[in-house]
Amino acid sequence: MAGQTLEIKRSSAAMWGTHTGIRTTPTVAKYIDTTTCIGCKACEAACQEWNDLGTVETHQTGTYQTLPKLDAKFWNLIRFNEREVDGGLMWMMRKDQCMHCAEPGCLEACPAPGAIVQYGNGIVDVDPSKCIGCGYCATGCPFDVPKFHVKTGKMAKCTLCVDRVEVGLEPACVKACPTGCLNFGTKDDMVALGKARVDQLNKSGFKEAMLYDPEGVGGTSVVTVLGHGHPEWYDLPVDPNVPVLVRLWKSVLRPVGVLAALVTAIGTFAHYTKYGPIEPPSDGGSDEHPN
Amino acid sequence: MTTMAHGQTEMEIAAGRARENVVAGGALVRHRRASRLIHWSVAGTFFLSLLSGMPIWTPLFGWMAGLFGGLEVCRWLHPYAGSLFFILSILQFFHWLGDMRLTEGDRSWFGPKAFKYMHHEDFPADPGKYNGGQKLFFWAVTLGAIGLLLSGLIMWFPLYFPQMIRELAILLHDITFILFLVAVITHIYLGTAAEPGTFRAMTRGTVTRAWARLHHPGWFQEVTGDEARKR
Ligand code: HEM
Ligand code: SF4
Repeated sequence: MAGQTLEIKRSSAAMWGTHTGIRTTPTVAKYIDTTTCIGCKACEAACQEWNDLGTVETHQTGTYQTLPKLDAKFWNLIRFNEREVDGGLMWMMRKDQCMHCAEPGCLEACPAPGAIVQYGNGIVDVDPSKCIGCGYCATGCPFDVPKFHVKTGKMAKCTLCVDRVEVGLEPACVKACPTGCLNFGTKDDMVALGKARVDQLNKSGFKEAMLYDPEGVGGTSVVTVLGHGHPEWYDLPVDPNVPVLVRLWKSVLRPVGVLAALVTAIGTFAHYTKYGPIEPPSDGGSDEHPN
Repeated sequence: MTTMAHGQTEMEIAAGRARENVVAGGALVRHRRASRLIHWSVAGTFFLSLLSGMPIWTPLFGWMAGLFGGLEVCRWLHPYAGSLFFILSILQFFHWLGDMRLTEGDRSWFGPKAFKYMHHEDFPADPGKYNGGQKLFFWAVTLGAIGLLLSGLIMWFPLYFPQMIRELAILLHDITFILFLVAVITHIYLGTAAEPGTFRAMTRGTVTRAWARLHHPGWFQEVTGDEARKR
């Protein structure tokens, strides 16, 4: 895990919080424009190279897609989707990776202190040395991103190249992209860029084009221009949220449970002080055995 | 051979202790060695599961992980401890099932009467070896053990189950163990401080006549043949 020079905004299973707040960094974001993606997979290769993930066996699904899903050894996947609309065929490519949510469900679900952190710049990262491989993060994630190494059982995912970003470089995928459909900068700049592009698309006939930066998870540090709108056409959830039951589990059930245990323990003590023990009457116990 | 009070020899007392529901010396054998062993192994694996599960539950109890060598150890140890707990619970279930059928008397005791009992005002009508509360706890524990196993198995191998099922499993596991914990705290309190003379039933296996007459008059009468006279 890199990112030692970055301030930590949030950490999994932190009791008192970890944010010192002495240094403010702008939130960063990756910009993806699906309309100018040509499906060349340079980003996939760059990701494997930079993160030293080696090679994976491709999995033929009848499209150009490398694998059906992200993998612990494959953090950047171009998803290829086809759809017939009004008699015409649309061929859509979307770069899939960790979305780096402002309110990460993985981090909320994770029980291991410091295993998932969110840096001051918004990047969500995992520390394998602290991960216990329980899989809770996968249950908290609305994007099906956390994946597990077969041998170590540890979670792995895109780090938004935090090791590059912290020294002022763009993520490897952005560096490799030949068409300029990927960009990197502050979140504000990337959203502005996205809005401008959506405007342009709307004017040139792509009436449903939209910028995907879902509110439900507080916005994401990956903003995606969807040329045809309809997030589900690109295998994206329409309104992603940290699962309600995960929130219920961590924010309601947990304090209630601690309280219940405490109240019971104190309650038994209070009962004892008020009512005392039920002793057998002494007149009935003359024959107590010494053993 | 020394002759003890009540004309029983040490041999007879030892033999008596291997059986159950008999008089041995001046005491009544409530739980023979096998019963006690089963119960202690259930208790042991329960606390092993609890102590290795609670640091995963909340960092408030993170220090418990240190007992086992860290959270990572808890992650793999806990499901095995839990599974062992389940197996032993089932053994205990069949071991005690015969005594645990709820009677009409037990049922009529639930509700306000049980509260009066806790205030030392009303004693259950003639309970046999176990009173209604104990029987209820027995059935709750059995249900709880099943709930913990089913949800625990899903949490053990999360990637084989859909997300919604995983979310529900975690909630079920947590609700069950919280209720379990609350019930066990009460169970231990009643078995120790609240009712002196009870704990030895799980250590030496015997209880005094006075204890049996007070808490389980029906059982007392069965075992001794003496009238369980009014308290
Ligand atoms: C019956 C068999 C059981 C199985 C198979 C099981 C399995 C699991 C698994 C797989 C987890 C997730 C963490 C991990 O991977 O270690 C877990 C969590 C937990 N278990 Fe169990 N368990 C069982 C019984 C119990 C019992 C008897 C207790 C307590 C008395 C218990 C209390 C807990 C707690 C407190 C957690 C943490 C829950 C959370 O993170 O919110 N479990 N269990
Ligand atoms: S698998 Fe690792 S990162 Fe995911 S929730 Fe468990 S400890 Fe946290």
